[in-house]
Amino acid sequence: MAALIDCRKLVVGYGGVPMLPCIEVDIEPGVFCCVVGRNGSGKSTWFKTVLGLIPPVSGEVIHKPGLRIAYIPQRLAYDAIYPLTVREVVSMGLLKAGGFLGIPRIRDGEIQPALESVDAWKLRAQIFHSLSEGQKQRVLFARALVADPEVAFMDEPTAAMDVVAQREMLMLVDCIRRERKMAVVMVNHELSVATHYAEQVFLVDRTTNVVVSGTAREVFSSPTFAELYGQEKANDLMKELEHVECDLRTAEHKGHTHDHDHDHGSHA
Amino acid sequence: MSEGAPTLREFLDAWDLFRDPVITGMCAGLLLGYLGVFIVLRRMVFVSAALSQAAALGVSLTFLADVLGLLPKSLAEPVGGALLFALGAMAFFMRNTEKFRLTREGLLGLGYLLGASGAVLVGDRITQEAHDVSAILFGPGVVVRTVDFYLTVGTAAVLLPLHLLMQRGLIFTSFDEQSARVQRLPVARLNFFLFLSIGVAVAFTTHAIGAMSVFAFSVLPAMTALALSHRLGLVLILSPALGLACGGGGYLLAFLYRFPVGASQTMLACACCGIAMLVAAVRNRD
Repeated sequence: MAALIDCRKLVVGYGGVPMLPCIEVDIEPGVFCCVVGRNGSGKSTWFKTVLGLIPPVSGEVIHKPGLRIAYIPQRLAYDAIYPLTVREVVSMGLLKAGGFLGIPRIRDGEIQPALESVDAWKLRAQIFHSLSEGQKQRVLFARALVADPEVAFMDEPTAAMDVVAQREMLMLVDCIRRERKMAVVMVNHELSVATHYAEQVFLVDRTTNVVVSGTAREVFSSPTFAELYGQEKANDLMKELEHVECDLRTAEHKGHTHDHDHDHGSHA
Repeated sequence: MSEGAPTLREFLDAWDLFRDPVITGMCAGLLLGYLGVFIVLRRMVFVSAALSQAAALGVSLTFLADVLGLLPKSLAEPVGGALLFALGAMAFFMRNTEKFRLTREGLLGLGYLLGASGAVLVGDRITQEAHDVSAILFGPGVVVRTVDFYLTVGTAAVLLPLHLLMQRGLIFTSFDEQSARVQRLPVARLNFFLFLSIGVAVAFTTHAIGAMSVFAFSVLPAMTALALSHRLGLVLILSPALGLACGGGGYLLAFLYRFPVGASQTMLACACCGIAMLVAAVRNRD
Protein backbone atom coordinates (compact mmCIF):
# COMPACT_ATOMS: atom_id res chain seq x y z
CA MET A 1 0.00 0.00 0.00
CA ALA A 2 1.40 3.41 -0.94
CA ALA A 3 2.38 5.59 2.03
CA LEU A 4 0.37 8.76 2.65
CA ILE A 5 3.44 10.52 3.98
CA ASP A 6 7.03 9.50 3.41
CA CYS A 7 9.81 11.08 5.49
CA ARG A 8 13.03 10.57 3.55
CA LYS A 9 16.26 11.20 5.45
CA LEU A 10 14.35 13.86 7.32
CA VAL A 11 16.30 16.01 9.76
CA VAL A 12 14.18 18.41 11.79
CA GLY A 13 15.25 21.47 13.73
CA TYR A 14 15.13 25.24 13.81
CA GLY A 15 17.22 27.75 11.91
CA GLY A 16 19.23 25.04 10.15
CA VAL A 17 20.29 23.46 13.47
CA PRO A 18 19.33 19.75 13.70
CA MET A 19 17.31 18.74 16.76
CA LEU A 20 17.00 14.98 16.13
CA PRO A 21 18.92 12.42 14.10
CA CYS A 22 17.88 11.51 10.58
CA ILE A 23 14.34 10.07 10.46
CA GLU A 24 13.00 7.57 7.93
CA VAL A 25 9.35 6.87 8.55
CA ASP A 26 6.19 6.28 6.51
CA ILE A 27 2.61 6.99 7.50
CA GLU A 28 0.46 4.27 5.95
CA PRO A 29 -3.28 4.60 5.26
CA GLY A 30 -5.47 3.84 8.28
CA VAL A 31 -2.62 3.51 10.77
CA PHE A 32 -2.77 4.83 14.35
CA CYS A 33 0.63 6.34 15.02
CA CYS A 34 1.60 7.71 18.43
CA VAL A 35 4.47 10.15 18.81
CA VAL A 36 5.88 9.95 22.33
CA GLY A 37 8.71 11.65 24.14
CA ARG A 38 9.36 13.86 27.12
CA ASN A 39 8.79 17.62 27.27
CA GLY A 40 11.07 19.41 24.82
CA SER A 41 12.04 16.14 23.16
CA GLY A 42 11.33 17.41 19.62
CA LYS A 43 7.89 15.80 19.14
CA SER A 44 6.21 19.03 18.11
CA THR A 45 9.11 19.99 15.84
CA TRP A 46 8.84 16.69 13.98
CA PHE A 47 5.06 17.05 13.89
CA LYS A 48 5.17 20.58 12.47
CA THR A 49 7.84 19.67 9.94
CA VAL A 50 5.76 16.80 8.61
CA LEU A 51 2.76 19.13 8.39
CA GLY A 52 4.84 21.66 6.44
CA LEU A 53 4.58 24.33 9.14
CA ILE A 54 8.36 24.57 9.51
CA PRO A 55 10.97 23.67 6.89
CA PRO A 56 13.19 20.58 7.37
CA VAL A 57 16.88 21.09 8.08
CA SER A 58 17.57 18.46 5.42
CA GLY A 59 15.80 15.58 3.72
CA GLU A 60 12.22 15.78 2.59
CA VAL A 61 8.64 15.05 3.51
CA ILE A 62 6.71 13.63 0.57
CA HIS A 63 2.93 13.79 0.71
CA LYS A 64 0.83 11.59 -1.56
CA PRO A 65 -0.47 13.83 -4.36
CA GLY A 66 -3.75 15.48 -3.34
CA LEU A 67 -3.45 14.20 0.22
CA ARG A 68 -6.21 15.50 2.50
CA ILE A 69 -4.70 16.41 5.87
CA ALA A 70 -6.50 17.61 8.97
CA TYR A 71 -4.76 19.17 11.94
CA ILE A 72 -6.01 19.56 15.49
CA PRO A 73 -3.64 21.86 17.41
CA GLN A 74 -3.36 21.91 21.17
CA ARG A 75 -6.39 23.52 22.80
CA LEU A 76 -4.18 26.33 24.12
CA ALA A 77 -3.83 27.55 20.54
CA TYR A 78 -7.36 28.98 20.72
CA ASP A 79 -8.06 32.39 22.17
CA ALA A 80 -11.23 32.59 24.26
CA ILE A 81 -11.96 36.12 23.00
CA TYR A 82 -13.30 34.85 19.63
CA PRO A 83 -17.12 34.80 19.64
CA LEU A 84 -17.48 31.79 17.36
CA THR A 85 -20.23 29.21 17.44
CA VAL A 86 -19.58 25.50 17.05
CA ARG A 87 -21.07 25.67 13.53
CA GLU A 88 -18.64 28.43 12.57
CA VAL A 89 -15.64 26.54 13.95
CA VAL A 90 -16.57 23.29 12.20
CA SER A 91 -17.25 25.13 8.92
CA MET A 92 -13.62 26.30 8.92
CA GLY A 93 -12.62 22.74 8.13
CA LEU A 94 -14.19 23.16 4.70
CA LEU A 95 -11.98 26.11 3.74
CA LYS A 96 -9.09 25.42 1.44
CA ALA A 97 -6.74 27.23 -0.92
CA GLY A 98 -8.82 29.14 -3.44
CA GLY A 99 -12.01 28.52 -1.49
CA PHE A 100 -11.60 31.03 1.29
CA LEU A 101 -13.15 34.08 -0.35
CA GLY A 102 -16.40 35.67 0.71
CA ILE A 103 -18.44 36.08 3.84
CA PRO A 104 -18.70 32.91 5.98
CA ARG A 105 -21.65 30.79 4.88
CA ILE A 106 -22.70 27.82 6.91
CA ARG A 107 -24.60 25.01 5.33
CA ASP A 108 -25.77 22.65 8.03
CA GLY A 109 -25.94 19.79 5.56
CA GLU A 110 -22.17 19.93 5.09
CA ILE A 111 -21.27 19.91 8.78
CA GLN A 112 -24.04 17.78 10.22
CA PRO A 113 -22.52 14.33 9.43
CA ALA A 114 -19.20 15.28 11.03
CA LEU A 115 -20.85 16.73 14.14
CA GLU A 116 -23.18 13.75 14.45
CA SER A 117 -20.29 11.32 14.14
CA VAL A 118 -18.70 12.84 17.26
CA ASP A 119 -22.10 13.18 18.98
CA ALA A 120 -21.90 17.00 19.02
CA TRP A 121 -24.71 18.04 16.65
CA LYS A 122 -26.74 19.27 19.64
CA LEU A 123 -23.92 21.68 20.47
CA ARG A 124 -23.97 23.40 17.07
CA ALA A 125 -25.49 26.71 18.22
CA GLN A 126 -23.31 27.04 21.32
CA ILE A 127 -20.33 29.33 21.67
CA PHE A 128 -17.17 27.27 21.21
CA HIS A 129 -15.44 28.65 24.29
CA SER A 130 -18.39 27.94 26.54
CA LEU A 131 -17.90 24.19 26.04
CA SER A 132 -16.07 21.77 28.32
CA GLU A 133 -12.61 20.59 27.26
CA GLY A 134 -14.00 17.25 26.12
CA GLN A 135 -16.72 18.93 24.06
CA LYS A 136 -14.20 21.33 22.50
CA GLN A 137 -12.03 18.42 21.39
CA ARG A 138 -15.05 16.68 19.88
CA VAL A 139 -15.90 19.84 17.95
CA LEU A 140 -12.30 20.22 16.74
CA PHE A 141 -12.33 16.57 15.73
CA ALA A 142 -15.55 17.25 13.80
CA ARG A 143 -13.81 20.18 12.10
CA ALA A 144 -11.05 17.79 11.08
CA LEU A 145 -13.55 15.20 9.80
CA VAL A 146 -15.69 17.61 7.81
CA ALA A 147 -13.22 17.62 4.90
CA ASP A 148 -13.00 13.80 4.90
CA PRO A 149 -9.24 13.65 5.63
CA GLU A 150 -7.01 10.70 4.83
CA VAL A 151 -4.79 11.53 7.80
CA ALA A 152 -5.47 13.52 10.97
CA PHE A 153 -2.66 15.02 13.03
CA MET A 154 -3.64 15.56 16.66
CA ASP A 155 -1.44 17.44 19.10
CA GLU A 156 -2.19 16.20 22.62
CA PRO A 157 -5.95 16.06 22.09
CA THR A 158 -6.68 14.77 25.58
CA ALA A 159 -4.64 17.32 27.52
CA ALA A 160 -6.63 19.01 30.33
CA MET A 161 -9.37 16.34 30.19
CA ASP A 162 -10.41 14.17 33.10
CA VAL A 163 -9.74 10.44 32.85
CA VAL A 164 -13.26 9.52 31.71
CA ALA A 165 -13.33 12.22 29.03
CA GLN A 166 -9.85 11.14 27.87
CA ARG A 167 -10.94 7.54 27.44
CA GLU A 168 -14.13 8.52 25.64
CA MET A 169 -12.25 10.82 23.29
CA LEU A 170 -9.59 8.23 22.44
CA MET A 171 -12.20 5.53 21.85
CA LEU A 172 -14.11 7.90 19.58
CA VAL A 173 -10.98 8.75 17.58
CA ASP A 174 -10.09 5.08 17.21
CA CYS A 175 -13.64 4.10 16.25
CA ILE A 176 -13.93 6.78 13.58
CA ARG A 177 -10.44 6.00 12.29
CA ARG A 178 -11.49 2.40 11.71
CA GLU A 179 -14.79 3.36 10.12
CA ARG A 180 -13.22 5.83 7.74
CA LYS A 181 -9.90 4.02 7.28
CA MET A 182 -8.25 7.28 8.22
CA ALA A 183 -4.69 7.46 9.54
CA VAL A 184 -4.18 9.21 12.88
CA VAL A 185 -0.87 10.67 14.01
CA MET A 186 -1.14 11.71 17.63
CA VAL A 187 1.29 13.38 19.99
CA ASN A 188 0.49 12.27 23.51
CA HIS A 189 2.25 12.38 26.85
CA GLU A 190 0.22 9.43 28.09
CA LEU A 191 2.24 6.36 27.14
CA SER A 192 -0.72 4.08 27.84
CA VAL A 193 -2.42 5.61 24.79
CA ALA A 194 0.26 3.94 22.71
CA THR A 195 -0.25 0.57 24.40
CA HIS A 196 -4.01 0.66 23.89
CA TYR A 197 -4.38 2.16 20.44
CA ALA A 198 -1.18 2.61 18.46
CA GLU A 199 -0.04 0.31 15.69
CA GLN A 200 3.04 2.41 15.17
CA VAL A 201 4.96 4.22 17.91
CA PHE A 202 7.52 6.88 17.32
CA LEU A 203 9.80 7.74 20.27
CA VAL A 204 11.93 10.85 19.97
CA ASP A 205 14.39 12.35 22.42
CA ARG A 206 16.40 15.43 21.73
CA THR A 207 18.73 15.22 24.74
CA THR A 208 20.02 11.73 23.95
CA ASN A 209 19.62 12.32 20.22
CA VAL A 210 17.61 9.17 19.54
CA VAL A 211 14.61 8.24 17.44
CA VAL A 212 13.02 4.80 17.78
CA SER A 213 10.08 3.65 15.70
CA GLY A 214 8.17 0.39 15.52
CA THR A 215 5.22 -1.31 17.20
CA ALA A 216 4.45 -0.45 20.83
CA ARG A 217 6.08 -3.75 21.86
CA GLU A 218 9.25 -2.99 19.92
CA VAL A 219 9.58 0.56 21.26
CA PHE A 220 8.72 -0.14 24.91
CA SER A 221 11.04 -3.16 25.05
CA SER A 222 13.94 -1.25 23.52
CA PRO A 223 16.98 -0.40 25.69
CA THR A 224 16.58 3.25 24.64
CA PHE A 225 13.11 3.42 26.17
CA ALA A 226 14.29 1.84 29.43
CA GLU A 227 17.17 4.30 29.52
CA LEU A 228 14.85 7.28 29.08
CA TYR A 229 11.89 6.26 31.25
CA GLY A 230 13.39 3.60 33.53
CA GLN A 231 13.12 -0.19 33.41
CA GLU A 232 10.21 -0.21 35.85
CA LYS A 233 8.09 1.98 33.56
CA ALA A 234 9.05 -0.17 30.58
CA ASN A 235 7.98 -3.32 32.48
CA ASP A 236 4.66 -1.73 33.48
CA LEU A 237 3.91 -0.80 29.89
CA MET A 238 4.80 -4.26 28.63
CA LYS A 239 2.41 -5.79 31.20
CA GLU A 240 -0.29 -3.34 30.11
CA LEU A 241 0.35 -4.27 26.51
CA GLU A 242 -0.03 -7.97 27.33
CA HIS A 243 -3.37 -7.27 29.05
CA VAL A 244 -4.59 -5.36 26.02
CA GLU A 245 -3.51 -8.14 23.66
CA CYS A 246 -5.12 -10.73 25.91
CA ASP A 247 -8.37 -8.74 25.98
CA LEU A 248 -8.33 -8.52 22.22
CA ARG A 249 -7.74 -12.25 21.79
CA THR A 250 -10.64 -12.93 24.15
CA ALA A 251 -12.88 -10.55 22.25
CA GLU A 252 -11.87 -12.12 18.94
CA HIS A 253 -12.55 -15.55 20.35
CA LYS A 254 -16.06 -14.46 21.34
CA GLY A 255 -16.56 -13.01 17.89
CA HIS A 256 -16.99 -9.50 19.23
CA THR A 257 -14.50 -7.96 16.91
CA HIS A 258 -14.50 -7.85 13.15
CA ASP A 259 -11.16 -6.27 12.69
CA HIS A 260 -8.37 -8.76 12.06
CA ASP A 261 -5.98 -6.29 10.43
CA HIS A 262 -4.32 -5.10 13.59
CA ASP A 263 -1.78 -6.81 15.70
CA HIS A 264 -3.09 -5.60 19.04
CA GLY A 265 -5.99 -4.10 20.88
CA SER A 266 -8.07 -1.08 20.23
CA HIS A 267 -10.14 -0.34 23.29
CA ALA A 268 -9.27 0.53 26.82
CA MET B 1 -25.16 81.60 14.07
CA SER B 2 -26.77 82.80 17.33
CA GLU B 3 -24.66 83.94 20.28
CA GLY B 4 -26.09 81.29 22.66
CA ALA B 5 -25.27 77.58 22.65
CA PRO B 6 -25.25 76.21 19.11
CA THR B 7 -28.32 74.19 18.18
CA LEU B 8 -29.01 71.18 16.01
CA ARG B 9 -30.97 73.42 13.64
CA GLU B 10 -27.91 75.63 13.15
CA PHE B 11 -25.86 72.51 12.47
CA LEU B 12 -28.31 71.35 9.84
CA ASP B 13 -28.58 74.82 8.33
CA ALA B 14 -24.80 74.89 7.89
CA TRP B 15 -24.68 71.28 6.60
CA ASP B 16 -22.84 72.29 3.43
CA LEU B 17 -20.00 73.54 5.60
CA PHE B 18 -19.91 70.47 7.84
CA ARG B 19 -20.74 67.80 5.30
CA ASP B 20 -17.18 66.88 4.33
CA PRO B 21 -15.71 66.61 7.86
CA VAL B 22 -18.76 64.68 9.10
CA ILE B 23 -18.61 62.24 6.19
CA THR B 24 -14.84 61.94 6.67
CA GLY B 25 -15.29 61.11 10.36
CA MET B 26 -18.05 58.63 9.58
CA CYS B 27 -16.06 56.87 6.84
CA ALA B 28 -12.99 56.71 9.09
CA GLY B 29 -15.13 55.28 11.89
CA LEU B 30 -16.71 52.75 9.54
CA LEU B 31 -13.39 51.54 8.14
CA LEU B 32 -11.45 51.53 11.41
CA GLY B 33 -14.41 50.01 13.24
CA TYR B 34 -14.32 47.05 10.86
CA LEU B 35 -10.53 46.64 10.94
CA GLY B 36 -10.67 47.11 14.71
CA VAL B 37 -12.43 43.75 15.13
CA PHE B 38 -9.33 42.00 13.80
CA ILE B 39 -7.04 44.34 15.76
CA VAL B 40 -8.81 43.53 19.04
CA LEU B 41 -9.24 39.80 18.33
CA ARG B 42 -5.55 39.48 17.47
CA ARG B 43 -4.71 41.31 20.69
CA MET B 44 -2.74 44.06 19.00
CA VAL B 45 -4.69 47.12 20.09
CA PHE B 46 -1.57 49.24 20.41
CA VAL B 47 -0.70 48.66 16.76
CA SER B 48 -3.08 51.40 15.64
CA ALA B 49 -1.87 53.75 18.41
CA ALA B 50 1.76 53.20 17.40
CA LEU B 51 0.95 53.47 13.69
CA SER B 52 -0.99 56.70 14.10
CA GLN B 53 1.93 58.21 16.03
CA ALA B 54 4.33 57.03 13.31
CA ALA B 55 2.03 58.65 10.73
CA ALA B 56 2.03 61.85 12.80
CA LEU B 57 5.83 61.80 12.84
CA GLY B 58 5.79 61.30 9.07
CA VAL B 59 3.56 64.35 8.67
CA SER B 60 5.74 66.47 10.98
CA LEU B 61 8.90 65.47 9.15
CA THR B 62 7.30 66.31 5.81
CA PHE B 63 6.46 69.77 7.13
CA LEU B 64 10.00 70.16 8.44
CA ALA B 65 11.52 69.02 5.14
CA ASP B 66 9.29 71.53 3.37
CA VAL B 67 10.31 74.37 5.73
CA LEU B 68 13.99 73.52 5.32
CA GLY B 69 13.61 73.25 1.57
CA LEU B 70 14.77 69.62 1.53
CA LEU B 71 11.85 68.47 -0.59
CA PRO B 72 10.46 69.93 -3.81
CA LYS B 73 7.04 71.52 -3.24
CA SER B 74 5.42 68.84 -5.36
CA LEU B 75 6.67 66.08 -3.03
CA ALA B 76 6.10 67.87 0.27
CA GLU B 77 2.72 66.25 0.79
CA PRO B 78 2.03 65.41 4.47
CA VAL B 79 -0.20 62.45 3.55
CA GLY B 80 2.74 60.90 1.69
CA GLY B 81 4.88 61.22 4.82
CA ALA B 82 2.11 59.71 6.93
CA LEU B 83 1.76 56.74 4.57
CA LEU B 84 5.50 56.15 4.32
CA PHE B 85 6.04 56.17 8.08
CA ALA B 86 2.91 54.14 8.88
CA LEU B 87 3.81 51.40 6.40
CA GLY B 88 7.45 51.45 7.53
CA ALA B 89 6.31 51.06 11.14
CA MET B 90 3.93 48.25 10.15
CA ALA B 91 6.76 46.41 8.40
CA PHE B 92 8.85 46.81 11.56
CA PHE B 93 6.08 45.50 13.83
CA MET B 94 5.52 42.46 11.59
CA ARG B 95 9.12 41.34 12.05
CA ASN B 96 10.04 38.39 14.22
CA THR B 97 10.57 39.99 17.63
CA GLU B 98 12.60 37.12 19.08
CA LYS B 99 15.82 38.27 17.43
CA PHE B 100 15.57 41.53 19.42
CA ARG B 101 14.88 39.57 22.60
CA LEU B 102 11.72 41.68 22.95
CA THR B 103 7.99 41.03 22.97
CA ARG B 104 5.76 42.53 20.29
CA GLU B 105 4.15 44.73 22.97
CA GLY B 106 7.59 46.12 23.74
CA LEU B 107 8.22 46.98 20.10
CA LEU B 108 4.80 48.63 19.86
CA GLY B 109 5.58 50.71 22.95
CA LEU B 110 8.87 51.75 21.39
CA GLY B 111 7.14 52.66 18.12
CA TYR B 112 4.44 54.66 19.91
CA LEU B 113 6.90 56.64 22.02
CA LEU B 114 9.26 57.23 19.10
CA GLY B 115 6.41 58.55 16.95
CA ALA B 116 4.81 60.67 19.69
CA SER B 117 8.02 62.25 20.99
CA GLY B 118 9.41 62.68 17.50
CA ALA B 119 6.26 64.48 16.31
CA VAL B 120 6.38 66.84 19.30
CA LEU B 121 10.12 67.53 18.88
CA VAL B 122 9.79 68.17 15.15
CA GLY B 123 6.69 70.29 15.77
CA ASP B 124 8.74 72.41 18.16
CA ARG B 125 11.04 73.36 15.27
CA ILE B 126 8.28 74.31 12.83
CA THR B 127 6.23 76.84 14.68
CA GLN B 128 4.43 77.99 11.54
CA GLU B 129 2.91 74.53 11.08
CA ALA B 130 2.52 73.79 14.79
CA HIS B 131 -1.24 74.07 14.46
CA ASP B 132 -1.27 71.39 11.72
CA VAL B 133 0.92 69.08 13.79
CA SER B 134 -1.31 69.61 16.82
CA ALA B 135 -4.38 68.86 14.69
CA ILE B 136 -2.85 65.56 13.62
CA LEU B 137 -2.07 64.56 17.18
CA PHE B 138 -5.30 65.68 18.83
CA GLY B 139 -7.79 65.96 15.98
CA PRO B 140 -8.44 68.63 13.39
CA GLY B 141 -10.67 71.66 13.66
CA VAL B 142 -14.00 72.14 12.00
CA VAL B 143 -12.96 71.49 8.42
CA VAL B 144 -10.96 68.83 6.58
CA ARG B 145 -8.89 69.34 3.49
CA THR B 146 -10.48 68.12 0.28
CA VAL B 147 -7.62 65.70 -0.31
CA ASP B 148 -8.15 64.13 3.13
CA PHE B 149 -11.88 63.83 2.47
CA TYR B 150 -11.33 61.98 -0.80
CA LEU B 151 -8.50 59.82 0.57
CA THR B 152 -10.56 58.69 3.57
CA VAL B 153 -13.72 58.02 1.59
CA GLY B 154 -11.73 56.35 -1.20
CA THR B 155 -9.74 54.16 1.22
CA ALA B 156 -12.94 52.99 2.89
CA ALA B 157 -14.59 52.38 -0.48
CA VAL B 158 -11.68 50.22 -1.66
CA LEU B 159 -10.66 48.40 1.51
CA LEU B 160 -14.05 47.44 2.91
CA PRO B 161 -15.20 45.44 -0.15
CA LEU B 162 -11.79 43.76 -0.31
CA HIS B 163 -12.09 42.82 3.35
CA LEU B 164 -15.57 41.44 2.83
CA LEU B 165 -14.17 39.36 -0.01
CA MET B 166 -11.41 37.94 2.21
CA GLN B 167 -13.52 37.69 5.36
CA ARG B 168 -13.70 33.89 5.61
CA GLY B 169 -9.99 33.46 5.14
CA LEU B 170 -9.10 36.30 7.51
CA ILE B 171 -11.33 34.96 10.29
CA PHE B 172 -9.88 31.45 9.99
CA THR B 173 -6.31 32.75 9.79
CA SER B 174 -6.85 34.96 12.84
CA PHE B 175 -8.50 32.20 14.90
CA ASP B 176 -6.23 29.27 14.00
CA GLU B 177 -3.28 30.22 11.82
CA GLN B 178 -1.58 26.82 11.91
CA SER B 179 -4.65 24.89 10.82
CA ALA B 180 -5.23 27.45 8.08
CA ARG B 181 -1.68 26.83 6.85
CA VAL B 182 -2.18 23.06 6.95
CA GLN B 183 -5.35 23.54 4.86
CA ARG B 184 -3.20 25.43 2.33
CA LEU B 185 -4.77 28.82 2.79
CA PRO B 186 -2.42 31.66 1.71
CA VAL B 187 -1.87 32.72 5.31
CA ALA B 188 1.18 34.93 4.66
CA ARG B 189 -0.65 36.82 1.92
CA LEU B 190 -3.80 37.20 4.02
CA ASN B 191 -1.76 38.53 6.95
CA PHE B 192 0.12 40.88 4.62
CA PHE B 193 -3.17 42.18 3.25
CA LEU B 194 -4.57 42.72 6.75
CA PHE B 195 -1.48 44.56 8.00
CA LEU B 196 -1.12 46.59 4.81
CA SER B 197 -4.75 47.68 4.95
CA ILE B 198 -4.40 48.65 8.62
CA GLY B 199 -1.25 50.65 7.77
CA VAL B 200 -2.91 52.45 4.84
CA ALA B 201 -6.13 53.11 6.74
CA VAL B 202 -4.31 54.49 9.77
CA ALA B 203 -1.99 56.67 7.66
CA PHE B 204 -4.77 58.34 5.68
CA THR B 205 -7.26 58.69 8.52
CA THR B 206 -4.64 60.03 10.95
CA HIS B 207 -4.07 62.99 8.67
CA ALA B 208 -7.81 63.50 8.29
CA ILE B 209 -9.19 63.03 11.82
CA GLY B 210 -6.15 62.92 14.13
CA ALA B 211 -4.24 60.22 15.97
CA MET B 212 -6.52 60.14 19.01
CA SER B 213 -9.69 59.47 17.01
CA VAL B 214 -7.88 56.87 14.89
CA PHE B 215 -6.79 54.94 17.96
CA ALA B 216 -10.26 55.27 19.47
CA PHE B 217 -12.09 54.07 16.34
CA SER B 218 -9.76 51.14 15.80
CA VAL B 219 -10.26 49.78 19.32
CA LEU B 220 -13.41 51.03 21.08
CA PRO B 221 -16.20 50.10 18.60
CA ALA B 222 -14.81 46.56 18.34
CA MET B 223 -14.58 46.26 22.13
CA THR B 224 -18.16 47.56 22.41
CA ALA B 225 -19.44 45.11 19.81
CA LEU B 226 -17.60 42.18 21.40
CA ALA B 227 -19.06 43.06 24.79
CA LEU B 228 -22.58 43.21 23.33
CA SER B 229 -22.61 40.20 21.02
CA HIS B 230 -21.52 36.56 21.08
CA ARG B 231 -21.77 36.28 17.29
CA LEU B 232 -18.75 37.23 15.21
CA GLY B 233 -20.95 37.95 12.20
CA LEU B 234 -22.91 40.49 14.25
CA VAL B 235 -19.73 41.94 15.75
CA LEU B 236 -18.41 42.56 12.23
CA ILE B 237 -21.56 44.58 11.45
CA LEU B 238 -22.00 46.29 14.82
CA SER B 239 -18.42 47.51 15.19
CA PRO B 240 -18.20 49.49 11.92
CA ALA B 241 -21.75 50.79 12.53
CA LEU B 242 -20.66 52.09 15.94
CA GLY B 243 -17.52 53.60 14.42
CA LEU B 244 -19.66 55.36 11.83
CA ALA B 245 -22.06 56.64 14.51
CA CYS B 246 -19.25 57.87 16.75
CA GLY B 247 -17.53 59.57 13.81
CA GLY B 248 -20.66 61.57 12.96
CA GLY B 249 -22.08 61.84 16.49
CA GLY B 250 -18.78 63.01 17.93
CA TYR B 251 -18.64 65.79 15.37
CA LEU B 252 -22.17 66.87 16.23
CA LEU B 253 -21.38 66.89 19.96
CA ALA B 254 -18.27 68.94 19.28
CA PHE B 255 -20.42 71.49 17.43
CA LEU B 256 -23.18 71.60 20.02
CA TYR B 257 -20.93 71.87 23.06
CA ARG B 258 -17.97 73.64 21.40
CA PHE B 259 -15.58 70.79 22.16
CA PRO B 260 -12.55 69.71 20.14
CA VAL B 261 -13.72 67.21 17.50
CA GLY B 262 -11.21 64.40 18.16
CA ALA B 263 -11.83 64.40 21.91
CA SER B 264 -15.61 64.42 21.37
CA GLN B 265 -15.46 61.45 18.99
CA THR B 266 -13.20 59.56 21.37
CA MET B 267 -15.34 60.33 24.43
CA LEU B 268 -18.50 59.20 22.62
CA ALA B 269 -16.81 55.92 21.66
CA CYS B 270 -15.64 55.51 25.28
CA ALA B 271 -19.19 56.12 26.53
CA CYS B 272 -20.56 53.46 24.16
CA CYS B 273 -17.91 51.03 25.34
CA GLY B 274 -18.66 51.78 28.99
CA ILE B 275 -22.39 51.18 28.50
CA ALA B 276 -21.66 47.92 26.64
CA MET B 277 -19.41 46.76 29.47
CA LEU B 278 -22.19 47.45 31.98
CA VAL B 279 -24.68 45.55 29.83
CA ALA B 280 -22.25 42.63 29.55
CA ALA B 281 -21.63 42.63 33.29
CA VAL B 282 -25.38 42.59 34.03
CA ARG B 283 -25.93 39.80 31.50
CA ASN B 284 -23.14 37.70 32.97
CA ARG B 285 -24.50 38.22 36.48
CA ASP B 286 -27.84 36.82 35.32
